[in-house]
Amino acid sequence: MKTRILLPLGLAAGMAALSGCTTAKILQAPPLVDQRITVADPRVSTDASLNSMVSIMGVKTSMTPGGLLKVQVELQNRTTSLQEFIYRFEWFDAYGMEINNVITAPITDQIEAQEDKFISSVAPKPNCKDFRVKFITPN
Amino acid sequence: MKSKIICPIIAAIPLLFNGCATPPPVVYQKPNESPIVTTGINIQDYTTAANDAVNELLASDVLGKVSNPPAVIFVSRIVNNTGQQINTDLLAKKITRALNQSGKTLTTSTDPAAIGLHNEIDFVADTNTTRLADFTLSGKIIETIDRGGNRSLTTYTFQLSLNDTKTAYQVWEGDKEIGKISTQPVISF
Repeated sequence: MKTRILLPLGLAAGMAALSGCTTAKILQAPPLVDQRITVADPRVSTDASLNSMVSIMGVKTSMTPGGLLKVQVELQNRTTSLQEFIYRFEWFDAYGMEINNVITAPITDQIEAQEDKFISSVAPKPNCKDFRVKFITPN
Repeated sequence: MKSKIICPIIAAIPLLFNGCATPPPVVYQKPNESPIVTTGINIQDYTTAANDAVNELLASDVLGKVSNPPAVIFVSRIVNNTGQQINTDLLAKKITRALNQSGKTLTTSTDPAAIGLHNEIDFVADTNTTRLADFTLSGKIIETIDRGGNRSLTTYTFQLSLNDTKTAYQVWEGDKEIGKISTQPVISF
């Protein structure tokens, strides 16, 4: 009866003691560092205050099926707190003349801590050939 | 007796200095960049909702699928399901203006004089040149309030639909939610 209890206990204890001596290969996960770099696009401008907290990660353009220029800007909040900002798209025709409407009105928005966010806009007219995006910190 | 005279004099001193205080200045402010945020719907919210709707509509190209462009839009009802008195034209006009400016649409006039004159011209010329609308724009603004502790979240949902008049299908739907957290009792006028 005693051996029935002691034998498994002894074996288990021995195994546990020996397992400490074996060297196990531990696969280390790569450090969680965002490898992406910020984009210095002349069409995107940010004020110094916002620039120190929120990065512009990319600017992409495409055409809608209706022949309008579409722009997508990717932002990243590098801080650990929510950031508020105002952005405004400015659209220009082939001659550099600005075209205004509701799409070009300043929009208040916010980005969560460490969040990646996309902001997009569609050109107000088919003759819009260029754009500019401004990001500013609210008053 | 002395205190009866001195007390009113001391009380009157602030009134003397009152005249020296500069009145609060009034300055111009771009409405869309105003730092004042209330739990009610403000101009920034209308702009954000309209901007979203226009961007989605233009990107979808649903307006370009009519047989003879530009598409004609009739602005139908935008129902106010909030506790506030709001003018839904603040939303509808922003959308129609941007769409008309894009060259993709024309909006039917609601001006009685224009409609009357058009009918008269048709009557005199014995023609019917009235082009019926290809789409109607309708919607709803809904307010929901959630309370937790001393904080409350007011959410405004701007629901918009573009309805094809030939099929009566909703060919486009937009939905924009704007939430505002407040630590004060939610009463907005």
